[in-house]
Amino acid sequence: MPHFVVMRLLQMIPVMLGVSFVVFISVYLVPGDVARTVLGNQASDVAVQALREDLGLNRPLLVQYGIWLWDLLQFDLGYSISQRVEVASLLGDKIVNSFILMGFSLFLVVAVSFLLSVFSATHFRSLGDRLTIFGTLLLASAPTFWLGILLLYVFSVKFPLFPTSGMYNFFDPGGFWQLVHHATLPAIATAASSIAIVTRVSRSAMIDVTNKTYMTALRSRGIRRRRLSYVHMVRNALPSFVNISGLQVGYLFGSAIFSEIIFNWPGIGLQLYNAILQRDVPMIQGCSMVIALTFVISNFLADYIVRALDASKR
Amino acid sequence: MQKQIMKKLKRGAIGPASALAIAISACGLAIMPEQAIAQASPADTVVIAIEANLSRLDPHASTTWNTFRVIMHVFEGFVAEDLTRDDVTQPPLVPALAESWDISDDGLTYTFNLRKGVKFHDGTNFDAAAVKFNMDRMLDPEFEYYQSIASGLMRWMWQDLESYRVVDDYTFEIKLETPNIEFLRRLAMGGSGTPRFISPTSIRENGNDSVETNPVGTGPYQFASRSIGELTVLKGNSEYWDENRTPTIERLMFRPISEVATRELALRSGEVDMISSPSPDSVEQLEAAGLDIVSSPVSTIYMMWVNFKEEALSDVRVRRAVCMALDRDGMAEFHRNGFARPATGILNYGGPGYDPDFKDCEYNPEGAKALLAEAGYPDGFKTRLDWTMGGGGDVNTVGDAEWIQRDLAKIGIDASIEVFDNGTYWDMLGGGIREGTGFMSVSWGETSFFWLDQVVASAASPPNGFNAGYYNNPEIDQQLADARSSASESEMLGHLATLQRTIADDMAFIPYYTPIAIYAMQPNISGFVLAPQHWHDYTGLTKK
Repeated sequence: MPHFVVMRLLQMIPVMLGVSFVVFISVYLVPGDVARTVLGNQASDVAVQALREDLGLNRPLLVQYGIWLWDLLQFDLGYSISQRVEVASLLGDKIVNSFILMGFSLFLVVAVSFLLSVFSATHFRSLGDRLTIFGTLLLASAPTFWLGILLLYVFSVKFPLFPTSGMYNFFDPGGFWQLVHHATLPAIATAASSIAIVTRVSRSAMIDVTNKTYMTALRSRGIRRRRLSYVHMVRNALPSFVNISGLQVGYLFGSAIFSEIIFNWPGIGLQLYNAILQRDVPMIQGCSMVIALTFVISNFLADYIVRALDASKR
Repeated sequence: MQKQIMKKLKRGAIGPASALAIAISACGLAIMPEQAIAQASPADTVVIAIEANLSRLDPHASTTWNTFRVIMHVFEGFVAEDLTRDDVTQPPLVPALAESWDISDDGLTYTFNLRKGVKFHDGTNFDAAAVKFNMDRMLDPEFEYYQSIASGLMRWMWQDLESYRVVDDYTFEIKLETPNIEFLRRLAMGGSGTPRFISPTSIRENGNDSVETNPVGTGPYQFASRSIGELTVLKGNSEYWDENRTPTIERLMFRPISEVATRELALRSGEVDMISSPSPDSVEQLEAAGLDIVSSPVSTIYMMWVNFKEEALSDVRVRRAVCMALDRDGMAEFHRNGFARPATGILNYGGPGYDPDFKDCEYNPEGAKALLAEAGYPDGFKTRLDWTMGGGGDVNTVGDAEWIQRDLAKIGIDASIEVFDNGTYWDMLGGGIREGTGFMSVSWGETSFFWLDQVVASAASPPNGFNAGYYNNPEIDQQLADARSSASESEMLGHLATLQRTIADDMAFIPYYTPIAIYAMQPNISGFVLAPQHWHDYTGLTKK
């Protein structure tokens, strides 16, 4: 196991290097001039040239990349163009907010899809099973931004049960319940399609297990059907459940970006969106790097957990 | 059923059991009786949801209209535009920190008599030395607290400057190289830097960048706090020098909510008191939900740049045919749902010389076809519209392109549409319209005519400006220069009228509408005035 961990950590280095290069280059492939963006429509060419010099934009691209990477390794992401504050310090708060939303969403995915898949698999081909399958098909097909606006309309405006935006009440901020209250709708919107996928995959994994010969053998030894379903079936289907849930983490991050925009959740996705609108290059790079790093780490964790659960690889 | 599952699981598998336990507690969370649902703001506070995140708060470095809407309440300059009136087509100029001023007969020397007894929010006294500090910060590269991007941003403002000096404690003098009839008007503007005054003490004590996190001015509101991307809070300045604009609302909270549907829903749920730029299509619904709508035309026009380098469009008859094909009345009435006025001349509403009766061409598709045939294009031609998705206040700009595409199709011009994000689009505009594209379009216009220097002058041809269609007419350059150096306002208006006629005769730019800006608010909010400007005065707001 330690060998596995070390190997995977080592593998992350070239991956992150590749990511950093793509992030750096892609922003520069977009047409346009950063210095011109900073200075606005009215700026003189002299001012634009001076700023280009100042920002190091006149150097060769690879040199710029090297400097940027060196700073990055020291957690220096530069200054935000549109805000004139350090990107790293701003992203610190935002990433925590995103993790909170991700946490709620992942919790929903794990809890709801576990319940649904156990229910569906144990009631194979019943009406309830069919309804679950149909419901998850709908969820899987609903785009996050559409579902988000629908949830807002129904549960904030028609039936005013939940707030429309933000993380806390601005007049009396604080408290775990207030946070939960604000996170409910965005977490549902973020989790919806993942719930559908995880449910469907683990349901079939559980049904597969049920059809295994050892299950017949256990049954022949007189183990009760309930115990067979809820213990042996679930236990043996668990690795695929964890695996597919783990793979959803990255996907959830993608959905969370839309949820953050719709529900104005002050996380890294909303920050990225605003940075793109404002053409804030250091901010775009910073957000992308943080999101990529989260992606890589969460995949690693999912792999680790699957391995830990899988008896044959222990 | 769930209980049974729980029991089984506890016996068999620890992991899933705990997962399930958490799941059930989640169901419990759905019932939260103690949690207040609506978060209506207190009586002394107005929460305004705005279209986009604010950018830098430093007035000398700030670049967006959206940000100026907030910082114009914190900082003041020599003069201001009176934005408490919506009954005028151009906001009148009023004194701000200069109580009065004298202009020399040659129009070159401006002597400002500064208002006495004004204090910055940190208690610093406002005087000529404070003005000098700020002028140095904007203009003197040798100055310790020089703001390096300010002079580039405010070239439109300081292009004619020769020198400035302190005369005495409350008198300040600015000298120009060439007369500029609009100099005072330009002093009142913002959006691309703004010549407004920051407390010298706060910069000396906390450094040049402290203006971003702690902006200290003299305005009716003072900065209270900011959480970037979430909330900016201003609090009322009870010591403000102008009784008429001393705020009654103690706290203004600005929340950027860029998604328009969310902004509207936040208003409907009572979470915010006021929103800017709801979609024109939602106005009926918002009214039906009991919300108040305030709307008024603003100082901008949506218009098309014509690419003079395209063969077909280099013929003025073809350009005229394009203009005649556009059903601009229909566009304003149906596509914009009445929240626009057809625009038929380059001098925008809110700006100098706006003439509602001016017509660049009459809508006449049949005549347009005939004109095309005469120019040698009886079957029309193929072209492309490069369009922007729009920035903060723009709603459904692509719908505009589709309307224009349809109108052009009626006279046989087959136009495709390509859409770009706003940042990329402005770069493309600055680089000149690309080959194969006939038209580009953005909204532009100010309460001053300085923007025409960047758009219609031949010196503004790419890459030196935004004359993206390479329109080149020396008469225009002369008319702009004449207008700027006019001795009187009526003379300036005369030059501008000639310029508008010349551009229309050349069909160099084709305006299509003046947007009617919309704010929606809770019925207990009153006193909001939507003056013809990109930014609005919130000091008159009251809340019942």
